[in-house]
Amino acid sequence: MRERLGQMLSKVSADFADIRYEIRRQTVVSFGGREIKQVNAGSTDGFVVRARRGTGFSSAVVSREEDVPRAFALAVEGADTMMGSGGRKVALAPVPVVEDEVEPELNGDPRLIPVSDKIAATRAYNEILLGQKEIATTSISYSEVCREKFYANTEGSSIHETLVTVAISGEVVAKRGGLLQNVRVAVGGANGWESLVGREDVFLERAGIAGRLLDAEPVRSGTYDVILNPSMAGVFTHEAFGHFSEADIIEDNPSMRAKMALGAKLGSDAVGMVADSTLPGQLGRYVYDDEGVAVRRVQLMKNGVLTGRLHSRATAASFGELPTGHCVAEDYRYEPIVRMGTIFIEPGEDSVESLFPRLGNGLYILDAKGGQTSGENFTFGAQYGFLVEGGSVGSMVRDINIMGNLFSTLSNISGTASDFRLSERGGCGKGQTNIKSNYGGPHVLISGMVVGGV
Amino acid sequence: MEKLLEMAMDAADQAEVFFRAQNITRLTMRNGSVTETSTSMTSGYSLRIIRDGILGSACTRNLADRRDLVSNAVVSLEGGVEAGYRLPGPHDPASLDTFHPSIDGLGYTDLAEVCRSVLDSLKGRVAGQVDCSGGFEKKTTRVVNSNSLDVSSTAGGFYVGAQVLFPATETSIGQVRYSLDKCGLPSERLDEIVELYSRGLEEVEAPTGRMKVLFHPHAMNTLTWRLRSALSARSVYFGTSPLIGRKGERVLSDRITFVEDPHAAGAIGTTPFDDEGVPTRKLPLIRDGVFESLYTNLDYAARLGIEPTGSGFRGEDAIEGLPAAGLAQEGFEPGDMTFDEMVSSMDEGVILMGALGAHSGNIINGDFSVGMNPGLLVRNGRIVGRVRDGMVAGNVWDVMQRVIGVEDRIHDPSSWARYPCVLLDGVNVSGTKA
Repeated sequence: MRERLGQMLSKVSADFADIRYEIRRQTVVSFGGREIKQVNAGSTDGFVVRARRGTGFSSAVVSREEDVPRAFALAVEGADTMMGSGGRKVALAPVPVVEDEVEPELNGDPRLIPVSDKIAATRAYNEILLGQKEIATTSISYSEVCREKFYANTEGSSIHETLVTVAISGEVVAKRGGLLQNVRVAVGGANGWESLVGREDVFLERAGIAGRLLDAEPVRSGTYDVILNPSMAGVFTHEAFGHFSEADIIEDNPSMRAKMALGAKLGSDAVGMVADSTLPGQLGRYVYDDEGVAVRRVQLMKNGVLTGRLHSRATAASFGELPTGHCVAEDYRYEPIVRMGTIFIEPGEDSVESLFPRLGNGLYILDAKGGQTSGENFTFGAQYGFLVEGGSVGSMVRDINIMGNLFSTLSNISGTASDFRLSERGGCGKGQTNIKSNYGGPHVLISGMVVGGV
Repeated sequence: MEKLLEMAMDAADQAEVFFRAQNITRLTMRNGSVTETSTSMTSGYSLRIIRDGILGSACTRNLADRRDLVSNAVVSLEGGVEAGYRLPGPHDPASLDTFHPSIDGLGYTDLAEVCRSVLDSLKGRVAGQVDCSGGFEKKTTRVVNSNSLDVSSTAGGFYVGAQVLFPATETSIGQVRYSLDKCGLPSERLDEIVELYSRGLEEVEAPTGRMKVLFHPHAMNTLTWRLRSALSARSVYFGTSPLIGRKGERVLSDRITFVEDPHAAGAIGTTPFDDEGVPTRKLPLIRDGVFESLYTNLDYAARLGIEPTGSGFRGEDAIEGLPAAGLAQEGFEPGDMTFDEMVSSMDEGVILMGALGAHSGNIINGDFSVGMNPGLLVRNGRIVGRVRDGMVAGNVWDVMQRVIGVEDRIHDPSSWARYPCVLLDGVNVSGTKA
């Protein structure tokens, strides 16, 4: 295939061009309550091409090989339109030419597991949830995605990398009278089938939390000092800071570029942030991004000072910084854009227990339930929380959603504990879904967060 | 497709072949420059078979190996997914205005021209950075099945959107327009951007408490997401809808009529049949506050013993997965207040122009808690500024009992929704003001 891609590239009239052919094999097994709702194992494929001519740069996606020449023609037309209309002047930062084959490091290859075993495993975990008190229903799925990617560009790079991601995840719903409460559950990752084995305790715990939420009171809206657990700290890192560290977000907003200049003191001394998709065994791991650049660890913030950001080749050239290998697509249906893989807030030296007396009165907020960002503003939901009074953890509260401003929140982080945990399930949406978005950190103490309540 | 259907019927009691081809072209201008151009041309086939009441499915991007596709669908029968429904028979789809051939002749230069025109119209009228984007789309669908159904349609349209960023932020005031033909943004919409942007320039702190909140169409998904969840036949089947057993009851203010209208004149996203080939129709879901109908695909219609509503849709990636209960063109019916009258009637409150986090929270229970992005603070009937770090929260079945007014005009914030502004009373607002 790599040779065929090279032949396709040889016919393109552009200063730079690349092509990615990808086969996406997906297996889905879904349960709604005790009923099996879907079993689907299939394979689809397609091509993504990009072309730079002059200072214009454009992309096109096609699902049929015979349309590849047309795709390159459209990409060149798009590049010409950019240049002809006084558009952004795109350059690509230089990167090494690479020829490589990369197979995933898997502890048990899920592609070799029969579908019947996948159904059985999902059913078994689903039954654990349904067997608990006051659980009304579930929505649980097995999801296996294998992306086999072939990449080539006119500079001579040629890469074949396969990524395999598995998860058993979904939602458990508890019900009492007219009150419904739901909690998310997820196990899995990018290191193979074994990440799904022996995880009964996780499903038991989640069903228990859903049941306890029926007795929890809605949180009262207001401004609180809070402790975030690693899942929530991870979502803060991803949603609030991480997206702003993606260079394409601020590339065309001059005032934000000035605000996010490297060297700017944006957070308290307690804050360190890292993006590291080279970490083995983690959901966010990959070797090459979708423009053939090896991913590297990036220290984004150190002692509250901005020290790095995530780049494609185009944004690296625009900012005069080094490429980082973070230009990633969901799959063959999309052009690559700047994305986070593994990102986390660095642990500190304090024990988790020591944060509570420092909090005094406030909220202990646990386990993310979605988040969204728009520039410097963010919101994220929590699955549950506890009131904290005088440093002691009290009753459970529900319906917790937080809003904040990145810059004020970074300044209000006053403690990071020494524990550390990363998520097992991704799903970031930035036009495309990134199932390898992987986040976490330690417990974190933050003052003055706006909580919406209900 | 016919050959594939024939092969599938050798292994099944019923079979369906779904085809979708989609071409999308987009252009983005940020800060006066074209920053992105992209095109996507994809197509594919999805096969659904039913044998002895069990469902099998498979998909492909091409028909190079039909036998392999049928074989994959047959293998998936082992999952034992029950399918107690009959695929629809032949019918003559309604004749709708879903596609104008002029779309076929458009290119990047048309998009650049439209965006440039919008930028020129706003030049000198706002202090903030202006971003603009446009695009056009063509979508062809065909559904054939073993019950002699063979329906096809072509749909598509054009959109243009503009937003003005508040200084040193990515928060903006914007407008978007969808049309069956190439279009620009009319001057009255540009005037609205300028007016609301100017009034929101000053950042202010919002109080915490219950007050009036005006939901702008760009933030309406906060409310309608919860309504859609409760009105889905799936939610009723699994016992997670607050509307179970309440058909015919008043569940919202009598000022609210929530409708699915896949035949809405002039809208893009209309369709004469759903992705299972079932004819679509205008479907009042909640009429004058009274719960009138669920929406359903074939599967949940059979499970609940109700008629299909033509609401089986396959989502963004049409060929993977199965049709689920969904809506094609939802909206609230217009009311009788103007936007200015609504603002004038607010002693203290917030206009929610955009919401962050509409997708999170306890949706099945109807709860929402969203960040204002942005929210405009109103005092004594006048917009006095843009709220810093504020949230709006509540339960949709509670707050939509207290509808003060519904705007007399329909906006199209997305290709699949048409809403007026809705003014609610007694909604929980969290601000930073002590």
